[in-house]
Parts: sequence; structure tokens; C-alpha cells
Amino acid sequence: MSASSPSRSAVAAPAPIATLARRVAQRVREVDRTTAVEATLVCAALALAAFLRLWQLDRLGFNSDEAVYAGQAAAIANDRALTPFFPVFRAHPLLFQTILSLGYRLGTGDLFARLLADLFGAGTVAMTFLTGRLLYGRRAGVVAALLLALMPYAVVVSRQVLLDGPMAFFATVTLYLVARAILSRRLVFLYAAGGTMGLTVLTKETGLLMLGGAFAFFALSPEIRIRAKHALGAAGLAAAIILAYPLSLRFAAHTQAGQKYLVYQLFRRPNHGWAFYPTTVPEAMGVLVVAAAVLGLWLLRREISWRETLLLSWIAAPSLFFQLYPVKGYQYLIACAPPVALLAGRTLARWQPARELRWRAVRVSPRWAMTGAAAAIAVSLALPAWGAIEPSSSAGTFLAGTGGVPGGRTLGRWIRHHVPRGAEFLTIGPSMANLVEFYGHRRAWGLSVSPNPIHRNPAYDAIRNPDLAIRTNEIQYVVWDAFSASRTTFFSRRLLAYAHRYHGRVLYSQAVTVSGRDGRPVQTPLLVVYGVRR
Amino acid sequence: MRLRPTLLCVPAAAVAAALAAGSAPAAAGHAPTTPIRHFITLMQQNHTYDNYFGTYPRGDGLPAGVCMPVDPRRPHGRCVRPFHLGSNQIAAGDPAHSTATARREFDHGRMDGFVGALDAAHEDGRLAMGYWNGSDLPYYWNLADQYVLYDRFFSSAMAGSFLNHVYWVTGGPAGEPASETGGELGQPLPRGGGRGLTTIFDRLQAAGVSWKFYVQNYNPHLTYRTFRRFPADRAAQVTRVPLLSIPRYLDTPALRAHIVPLSQYYDDLLSNRLPAVSYIVPSGPSEHPPSSLASGQAFVRSLINSLIASPEWKSSAFLLSYDDWGGWYDHVKPPRVDKYGYGFRVPAILVSPYARRGFVDHTQLDFTSILRFIEDNWRLKPLTSRDAHANSIATGFDFRQPPRPPEFTSQTRGNPLETHVRRPLIYGLYGGAAALTVLLLALALVPPGRGREPALSGPGGDER
Repeated sequence: MSASSPSRSAVAAPAPIATLARRVAQRVREVDRTTAVEATLVCAALALAAFLRLWQLDRLGFNSDEAVYAGQAAAIANDRALTPFFPVFRAHPLLFQTILSLGYRLGTGDLFARLLADLFGAGTVAMTFLTGRLLYGRRAGVVAALLLALMPYAVVVSRQVLLDGPMAFFATVTLYLVARAILSRRLVFLYAAGGTMGLTVLTKETGLLMLGGAFAFFALSPEIRIRAKHALGAAGLAAAIILAYPLSLRFAAHTQAGQKYLVYQLFRRPNHGWAFYPTTVPEAMGVLVVAAAVLGLWLLRREISWRETLLLSWIAAPSLFFQLYPVKGYQYLIACAPPVALLAGRTLARWQPARELRWRAVRVSPRWAMTGAAAAIAVSLALPAWGAIEPSSSAGTFLAGTGGVPGGRTLGRWIRHHVPRGAEFLTIGPSMANLVEFYGHRRAWGLSVSPNPIHRNPAYDAIRNPDLAIRTNEIQYVVWDAFSASRTTFFSRRLLAYAHRYHGRVLYSQAVTVSGRDGRPVQTPLLVVYGVRR
Repeated sequence: MRLRPTLLCVPAAAVAAALAAGSAPAAAGHAPTTPIRHFITLMQQNHTYDNYFGTYPRGDGLPAGVCMPVDPRRPHGRCVRPFHLGSNQIAAGDPAHSTATARREFDHGRMDGFVGALDAAHEDGRLAMGYWNGSDLPYYWNLADQYVLYDRFFSSAMAGSFLNHVYWVTGGPAGEPASETGGELGQPLPRGGGRGLTTIFDRLQAAGVSWKFYVQNYNPHLTYRTFRRFPADRAAQVTRVPLLSIPRYLDTPALRAHIVPLSQYYDDLLSNRLPAVSYIVPSGPSEHPPSSLASGQAFVRSLINSLIASPEWKSSAFLLSYDDWGGWYDHVKPPRVDKYGYGFRVPAILVSPYARRGFVDHTQLDFTSILRFIEDNWRLKPLTSRDAHANSIATGFDFRQPPRPPEFTSQTRGNPLETHVRRPLIYGLYGGAAALTVLLLALALVPPGRGREPALSGPGGDER
């Protein structure tokens, strides 16, 4: 028996291959021209998304937040050089950092972390297509995916090692599963949505807002009848998964870390005015995209159903919360981007003018008119998206839109190779301090971190008496950087005063060429490291 | 053995001839014999080994069960155990530390007079038994963890600061002291202002080996000729810098130029002008009780860190020591090598890229061991029989090892930044959460079996 088996399988092998080939050929014949075009467009959207998210991805080093999340991942991966500087339990849950740590077990680096973040960004584009196809058909899915692929907001956030991008991915998966559950009437999709909702929160605690969005949707959609036990079951699954966060804090005896951060977030001073989101996010999403989404709600008002309620709930929950919440961050509303793109895709795919458009001798059919509108909006997104991933060199804004801090990585590497281990640095603020610690592997203190625990992020330690610390040689180096100086001239001046008072010697400096007010290129300091002593 | 000071002196003519040659580059015969091209020695003040390292986990520290009799004549009477300073009502002051006090404490080798001697000086005798620990001396204990701690390093003379500083630079007792009761400024200046003294710097100068004497808060107008015009605390500069008691170092510009303010140390490190041999003395942060230990450690840290951060680090060695015992208890009976010494043990730490890591060196040493190392390293003749017969501090080096990379020593004990991360917990909880979700997704993607799955009510069915 054992001798005959190999020969039998060798003879039988071509049969399944031939069958498979026949099936593929049959499917290809079945695909109509429209479907083929749309499939090509989906692939093009994903390719564009990948291109915009990968282009010169590693050109700039991490910014402060990226350094913190990557540092946490390195600490989970047992990177001995970074573990002392980046406590694992700081502020947020650790799902993304834990996934990243699996790669970091092979070695810590910038590119891998950004590729992982990009993967979530591209995944969000794919999920947007699937959701659009599910809710409004393939054409709407393609358009929505294309818009999200090119959207500067999504591009900029996806290129950074932030928690918001992966959180938006899980939120979009949840959105898809909720829609799928309603359309298929299969309870298991609702439970799966509960699971991915849990992962949304495990990525970043503000994912809880999406849970609020889901509740709002079910409350506002009387046609969707859901039994309490089923709702509780899905919510229970979400809660069971979310439980990983408090349990990890409790078992690691770091319960206070989360509590302190919550208290800090609740009582910290506003960092932006009420107009921050209305003025920044629509522009970042694309004004035409937002307009198309809003216009569609009017133009297609007769089609409004639970679908739009679902998407609007997904947009409204985080938007309303963060509009009212005093602390605002650019990337906090990224989870709203897919539903906005979906609503815009709905408009562009499902609404058409009543008759053909005429302009002089040119006649455009309604379908081509909308295709042209979609293309125009896509171009209007692509240009600023390209501008955002190419670091600007204009005066005062040379801090790239991609989130990296020019020179931070180079500085850190210089520190690692030229400054004795165990040295300690004073920086203007915690942003540069994080970069010094991540790239330089040296302890750094942000001068602007308040000694008052009520007024500082509990993840940071304050330097209580920087003057004394320099005099007693606890701090041996001072770093001035243009990024932090532009945010706080007061602490910039104080830091330079220490450098002058304590025999500051310039050990390292970086300058960049920027456009001056008269348009001519001028050299401006970017980073300066001083050695200080009593 | 009694040293004869007159025999220890090099004729002034020979010294003058050497000076005339100036400080030329080291002759080929005086090139360093080890990788150490820069040797720096700092003299702090007034502590014993047991006072600083008595409870250090390694080395010859405070013996278990020791209890110092209040009255040495009643060894079984009341006694005082060593205690951590600051942990009781006994004020941490400046114990008496005259030569007479030292002799009472030594008590002809019985080492039982530490409490009684201070009582006799109308002080709280219990203070002598006080000690500091790692929480008070985190930087020094960390240095000991990383470099070399000598636990048999004795002060050269059972006397005060002046005589021990003189041993530090001459290897001898500076001629016949006017009295043996003090050792402090104003009492035992050698007759003639130390005119006949030969110092290690004479040897270095003659050999063309560069040297400097760095003085914190240096006042060039304050010498043995003028010290009486200054307040006592400022006048102590003459105690700490024996060269200021030797006329030729004051009157010969080529020699006097080597005595410089401490700020030059930092400049020299930056400009690659650090001499082959550097002597450093402090002013305020000398740790002389009751001054601040933190301030002294910060001062020493600044010196060592500046050296470590400089290009000279890879060929340097820094020796920290203390001039005398300061009145504090130390349990090791100092060997008698001559009329003057040894005195009680003092702390001594060697910092160098070639220093053994975390090594406690039990070699018997004193300040002349520093001279012995300099003489051996630059092939110089010994100054006295003391340094000629002394062990060298070189036992703390391991020149077979590659130079250690520059690293600042922490000023806190332990590593407060180090956090214990429970990685299996994180992977378990987050991995479990992800696995549960993947399972739910997999179940959702499986086509439903007819009638087996509860259904949601609602519109449904109109997927587009």
C-alpha cells in the first residue's frame, strides 16, 4: 500500500488543477465589462493608497507620539536599550503596540512600525470598499475606496505610528459587520461586530465612542429590531475583549497609570478652540468630499434609510464628543473618514442629473458627468495628499505634515554614538525628550513638563529644579529644537538661558534651508546640543 | 623606621637645572608604560572607609556585632554600636580630628578609643560610630559597583589634612614638623616654608612630563606667606595645595603657571590639553563634615563626567581619595610603617576605562601608592623610601581588557527607570482578545446551516 500511494497521487494531481483552471476561466467569462472596470478601479484605489502611504515613508524619523508607541512596543518585545525609557503601561491600551512588538522581537526600527500602521490604513480602504459595496453597490464602494485612498487626512494619519489609524480600521470593520448582520439577519455577524468593537477599544480607549455610535444607530432605527439578549450578547463580547486592558493593568499592578491618565484627560486645559475641527478636518478630508456627502443626503433624501443612519451615527458620535471635549487632536476624528467617504461615494454613484449636461457643443451623459465629478474630486484630494507627504521647506512650517520631526532621528543617532551612556538631557518639551530617549537611548527631561501633577501628562516626569540639576551635574546636555521653540517661546528662552549660564558649548547643530520672507533661501537652526556644567 | 627628611630632599640646584629646561615633551625614556596617558587624582576630606563603605555589600566593612566602649578602660561597660547617621537624635557634626584625637582613638593599637576620644574633646562621642550608606552616597556606591574600590587604602599619616596632603605630593612628612599635634594649617609648616621639599612635580618637570595642579576657587595671592591675612576657611587653600608652601613654586613663573584654577580642567579637557598628571583639590564641596555629601558627590561627578565625555577618557585614570579619617570610626588597625603612619583607612576609588569592573582591591595602599603609580608609569625615580616601598594602585587596572566605552555613572542607587514588564500577561490577554475576535469572524464567514442559527429581525435581504 505504501508503495502504490505516491504513484496514484502523481497521476491524480493534474485533475484538481485542470478543474480549478476551468472554474477560473468560467468566472472570467462571467465577469461583465462594468465589473471588470470596477475591479480594476478597486485595485487602482488600493495601489494609489499603497503608493501614497509608502512613498518615502522612512524619509523622516518618528515624531514624539510615534516614538512613544514604538518605544512601548520595543519594551514589550524586551528591547533592553529602550525598556528603561518607555514604561509599557502609560496611557492607552496596548493592542497595536503588542502586534508591533511581535515584529520588534526581531529588531526595533522605524520602517516596520510605519509599514504596520500603513497596513491598517490600506486595510481601512479595503473595508471601505466592502462596506460601500454592501450598502450601496459596487460602484459606490469603488468611489468611496478611491476617495479614502487619496484623502490627505487618511494618508497623513496612516503614515504615522499612531493608534488612531488602526482604531479606525477596527471601527470600519465593525461598521461593515453591523451592516452585514442587518442585511444577512445573521446574529453571528452582530457578535463578530461586538468582537471587533472590542478590538477598536483595545487599540485606543476613545473607540468607546464608536460603541456609543452603535447604540445611537439602533436607537434611531426603529426598523431594525434587535432582541435585548442579542444586543447584550454582542455588548458582552465587546466588554469581554475590552476587559484585557483593565486586567493587564491590574495584574501588572499599574492600575493607577490608567486612572491618572483619565483624570488628567478629564481636567486638562483646552489645547485648541472650538473652531479647530470645523476648520481643519473638512479641509483634510477634502472639502468637495464633505460637500458631496452632505449634498447626497439632500439629493437622495428619498432613499434615506437605516444605512445613512448607521453612517451618520458613526460620524456623529466621535465628532460631537471631541467637538465638546476641550482636548482636541488632529487625528482623533480619523474614524469618521470612512463613513464620510462612503456617503460621498453614495452620492457620486447613485445620484445623477435628470438629463445630459450641455456646454456649447459638448454633451455629457449623466453617468459620465458623475464619473467626471468623481475624478475631479479625486484629483482635488490627490494634490494636497501629495503635498502632505512631501516635507515642506517654507519658513516656520518645515515640520513635515507626515508627522516626523526633521533631524530628530539624526540627532538621536549622534547622541547614541557620541554621548556617554547614562548622560541626561534637558529639552524644551517632552516631544524632543521622547526622540532623544527613543533614538539616543539617553534620559531626557522636558523643561515645559509642569511639576504640578494636575497640569502634566502622568506619562511624563517633571524636572523639579532644572537649574539645580545642571549645577549638580545630574543633567549634562541641553537640546534646543526649532519644533518645540515654535510651540513655546517661553521655555525656549528659559532653556537657552540655562545654556548660557552654565558654560554651554555647542557640541552638535543642524540647520535647514527654508524660504525667507523675501523668498530667498536662508539657513535656520533646527537643532542645537549644548554641553553644560556648573 | 624613622625617615630623615634631609635625605629625602633633592638638591635645589638639580631642581633649578631641570626647571631651566622648561616643560618639554616627555623624553622617550619617560613615555607611559601603560595605556594610561592621563592620570588625575582628587583629594576630598575627612572620612574613613567604614564611615562611607562600612555597610557596602562587598569589601572589608563594619564587622558584625561591633560595639565601641564609651570608656576604653572599661571594655565591658557601656558601648556604642555603629548607626546610620540621621536615623537618631545624634547630630551629624564634625568630629574632632586632631593628631591627639587620632592617638586616643588608636589607643596603642587597641582601636577602642573612638567614642572616648570625642568625649575627651567635649563632643558627643557617639558621633564617631556614625556611618553613611548607599542612600546618602549613591554616586560613590555606584562607582564602586562599576569600577575599583580599595578597602585597604590608609591615610599616609595619623594626622590631619596638611601632613597627608604633603605626603600626597612628596611621599614624605615635609621635614620635621614644628609640632605633631595638628597637621592643620598654621601649625606644622616646615621650617623655611618647605624650601627643601622635593615633589612629584619636580620629577615630572625634570622628565618633561606635563602636569597641573587644579585648585577650585583658586586665589593666587593666598600662599604660606600671606595666609594669616585670610579667614581660616579661605586660608585652607594652603593646606590643600602644599606647593603654595614651597618658595620655588611661588617664585618661579614656569612652575607657578602649573597651579591653575579648576575651570581650566574643563577647558583642558575640551581642548585636548589635559596634562599627563593632574592633581585636583576642592574648596567648598570637599565633603569635610558637616558639609553636604550631595554637593561633594555632584562636584566629583562633574569632574569624572567631564573626563568621560572627553576624548581623553580612553587613556585616563581618575583616583578619588580622602585626606584623613576626620575623627570617624574605622575598624581596621592601621599598620605602623614609620613614626607618622599609617593613619586610619580612607575611601579610595579608581575610575578608568581600564579599571576592573566592580572590583574590591585588598592591596595595602596609602597616598604614596599614587606616587608609586606615577613613578612607575612615567619611569621616574622614587621621592622617598615610603613611595619606593609602597604598593602601586596599579592592581586596580586590567590592561588586557579593551578600554571600556564612556558611560556616566548613575547618581541614584538601582535603576529607577527599569520597569518589570509582565510580557506573558500582555501577550496572553491581548492575544486572547484577538483570538476570540478571529474565532467570531471565522464563524461569521462560515455559511449558515439551515435552521441552526438564531436570526436577527429587521429589513435584511436587500444587499446591493
